[in-house]
Amino acid sequence: MNVKILGIVKILGITLLLVTLWMILAFLVPEGFLNGNNMFNLFLRTAMYGVLGIGVAFVIITSGIDLSIGSIVCLSGVLLSLFLSVSYHPGDGEKVFAIDPQQQLIVLADETEGFKSGDLLRYYGSTQARSAVVTLSKVASTKIPDEAGELTASASLLQVEGLDGNTSTARDGVVAKLYPIKRVDPEKGTVLITGKHEGLAARDQIRFINPSGGMEQIVVAGTELIDGNTQVSVDGDTGALGEGWLAMPLLRDQAMPVPVALLSVLGIALLLGVVHGLLVTKIHLQPFVVTLCGLLLYRGISRWLVNDRDTGYGNEYESSLSLLTNGKFELFTLGEPYGTYSIPYAFFIFIFVAILAAVFLNKTIYGRYMLALGRNVEAARFSGINTDRMTIIGYVICTVMGALGGLFFLNYSDSIAPSSHGNFFELYAIAAAVLGGCSLRGGEGSILGVVIGTALMVTLKMFINLMKISDTLEFAIIGVVILVGVVADELLKKAVARRQASKS
Amino acid sequence: MQDSDSSGECDSGGTTLLECKGIGKSFPGVRALGGVNLSLDKGQVLSLIGENGAGKSTLMKILAGVQPPDEGEILLDGNPVEIESTRAALDLGISLIHQELNLATNLSVGANVFLGREPLRGGLIDESTIRKESARFLEMVGLDVSPDTLVGDLTIGRQQMVEIAKALSVNARVLIMDEPTSSLSQAEAENLFVVIKDLRARGVSVIYISHRLGEVKELSDHVTVMRDGENAGELSRDEVTHEAMVRLMVGRDLSEYYERKDREKGDLALEVKKLRTPVHPQHELNFSVASGEIVAVAGLVGAGRTEMLETLFGVTPALGGSIQVSGTELELDSPISAIAAGIALAPEDRKQQGLVIDMTVRENLSLAALKRDQKKAGFLDFSKEKRISDEMIKAMRVKTPNEDQVIRFLSGGNQQKVVLGKWLAMKPKVLLLDEPTRGIDVGAKSEIYALMEELAESGVAILYVSSEMEEVLGMADRALVMHEGRITGELTREELTEENVMQLATGGEKTAA
Repeated sequence: MNVKILGIVKILGITLLLVTLWMILAFLVPEGFLNGNNMFNLFLRTAMYGVLGIGVAFVIITSGIDLSIGSIVCLSGVLLSLFLSVSYHPGDGEKVFAIDPQQQLIVLADETEGFKSGDLLRYYGSTQARSAVVTLSKVASTKIPDEAGELTASASLLQVEGLDGNTSTARDGVVAKLYPIKRVDPEKGTVLITGKHEGLAARDQIRFINPSGGMEQIVVAGTELIDGNTQVSVDGDTGALGEGWLAMPLLRDQAMPVPVALLSVLGIALLLGVVHGLLVTKIHLQPFVVTLCGLLLYRGISRWLVNDRDTGYGNEYESSLSLLTNGKFELFTLGEPYGTYSIPYAFFIFIFVAILAAVFLNKTIYGRYMLALGRNVEAARFSGINTDRMTIIGYVICTVMGALGGLFFLNYSDSIAPSSHGNFFELYAIAAAVLGGCSLRGGEGSILGVVIGTALMVTLKMFINLMKISDTLEFAIIGVVILVGVVADELLKKAVARRQASKS
Repeated sequence: MQDSDSSGECDSGGTTLLECKGIGKSFPGVRALGGVNLSLDKGQVLSLIGENGAGKSTLMKILAGVQPPDEGEILLDGNPVEIESTRAALDLGISLIHQELNLATNLSVGANVFLGREPLRGGLIDESTIRKESARFLEMVGLDVSPDTLVGDLTIGRQQMVEIAKALSVNARVLIMDEPTSSLSQAEAENLFVVIKDLRARGVSVIYISHRLGEVKELSDHVTVMRDGENAGELSRDEVTHEAMVRLMVGRDLSEYYERKDREKGDLALEVKKLRTPVHPQHELNFSVASGEIVAVAGLVGAGRTEMLETLFGVTPALGGSIQVSGTELELDSPISAIAAGIALAPEDRKQQGLVIDMTVRENLSLAALKRDQKKAGFLDFSKEKRISDEMIKAMRVKTPNEDQVIRFLSGGNQQKVVLGKWLAMKPKVLLLDEPTRGIDVGAKSEIYALMEELAESGVAILYVSSEMEEVLGMADRALVMHEGRITGELTREELTEENVMQLATGGEKTAA
């Protein structure tokens, strides 16, 4: 019974600390702290860091550690942004092999039947020559060098009018057809463009070009075929468009469907977790070393995958995937400056995950196995527990939670920098777990404790910001809080142990 | 001279070296020692015996300076002394040698002897003095190793000698030895007794704590018995008998210590043919145990007995040969498969292998049965768990305030009962026991013997490893004796004598009954 009481006292302790911090903030900076936006952030950050904390708690319970969590968050973010990357291409675009402005010639990289004499074309996308709108006068066939350099590949030769004779020659670029606007209806938000565009659909985009200068890019909401032409309803302001403008429809190309992308990233995380677990259980490597290598490796791979450039899918998924993180469940609204109070969907997901984790840990035989092997792996093995399997499961839970966190953090920012995204996240996660009662010796842990521990870490950071304490002290303060928390825990344990010893 | 009252007075004319008068010590909620008296003469071997929880360790810790007494006084050479720290105790010449030795296994013998008080020359450690001086003390204990030998390379028995040499090098006048023979082979124990007798001749006094009453009888000049934190009685050399000691320790007559009865043997429960263990792959083991049989496995330390049990349990899977349980051939590659086949093992290292020491009684009792008793999808069946826990605590008579007590705080005997209870809940066909009563007091020991008898009666096949001759002779229907990895012989009940066991254990042959 004393063991349970100890657990309850610990949770009460950090809850008390958390509530105290909240009260101080509410009293000293009420508008900064209690406003709807800040509260939303409190919930959101607790959810995002919290899933990482829950993941690492399982590893800590098996008396291991995972230092690679931050890098997994980064890798998951990079992979997701690659898998879900979106590009827009004209449906009828053709790659250009070369242009010769003096001769008004465009040689395509391939043969095509799509262009006919009289068509309006747009040449663009070259690094060497300016974009231009041209009229096609004649299409012919010619030969261009193939891979071996022999003039055997067939390609179309376009004789055009309108290329500026002073433009430099170029060996790249794209040519696509332009379709004149027939009618614009700004009130209904529709544009009628020539041609049957059956492939055009919602979320595609159209680039509208004014031959006298000017461009607009608008998102398509829907299409309707009318008498051989296409009426496009658009998202956005059509006021600038007018007759004489030309439309270049751009089809949206998403690298992978969302569920496939998500499953792939989770699958990769699962695999990494299995690798961690196998290295620890079968090759008997130290978890510290294995996951330290992971930390370096996964970040390195992330940077390599995107050439160390910032990456992200912007607001492409604003109304779908991003909702998992940023979607708001509105509660109520107060007058300025407090604003609207809402809870992010991510928080609901987090609570769901926490409940699952708590049930797994405390109510299933698997949780009991993990607690036992965390305390004494040999005794657990001698009692018939498959300690290798349970340890691997711990590492898998951690990396999968890392991937979930990666999704949250990617949705949170427009773009992420692979050189620094996720830096130190493992320390926040471990700190939250330790504050919440997970002993690094293994065999002890409470999911509720991790939740509160995470909230405490997030609140501390908020405290530092809102109280205008120097940023540089952030790590110092967090370090002190964790130290105090752990020392208090040890002292409490010793006191309880003394009482128990004297009883038997 | 007759002396069996509780006053703790010395019984011979020897000069009193150390005296404890009315020592009391309390912890929150418990009175560990209540007015205890102890008297130790110069050059005397005094044995301190008592059940677990009798207060022996508490008293010794006070003498060694680990904790101060709440009441009473300690007199050294007739003068009252305050032993405020372990350093102070050492300075007074009182040295405590723990059951688990306190040596740095990564350092040399000499370095260990002078650990903490290294002689310096020019600010650096004076290795040659260490070597010379430690050699002197090593000779005193008859340890024939070079001071440069790494302690980790020595056997436990010899490591113990290093500890004694270390104590002598700080001029110990009183050597307190706590369960010194629990990890020693018979030969090493004999050697220790020789050294103790030698120390006595030199005027060093020894306080000897042990549960092995046979040793106590052999060594002691005087025996002080404790029970429930108080003096229970004194026995002079000629009064020391097994019965007298047990009666004073337990406070009642323990008749029929070993409850062995003749039983009906059933079918063969365990058949082992040409079994080769990873540790001794060159020997093939052949034997069988019938249901209802209690078979002892005797031998010296290092004979390979624990290794054999661990192979039978799948901890270190066999390299060859066959194991059959109730006629079914088995592939035992892990404890999981052994348990599924109906085999259970109570391991040698109770705290490290047998129990999860920081979990509760209930959690330990149910640990092996969790998979079998689970509810759908892996959920714990808390009601079944409680039932097993209640049943086993009652059946094994585990002394614990409640089922949620952390096992670390139970006595050795009760811990062992929990280990056995865990396996009994699995209803095994074959029960393997490795040193089942090591470090356990008399009362708990006899309970475990009674349990073994009960289980055999109900048809369980029991194979138990023991280094206590009395236990082997007392409980076994049959005995296997091992020597350096092979079974040198099997002894029937009639052939079971100390000589035969020792002969076979040292690689010899048994003499005809």
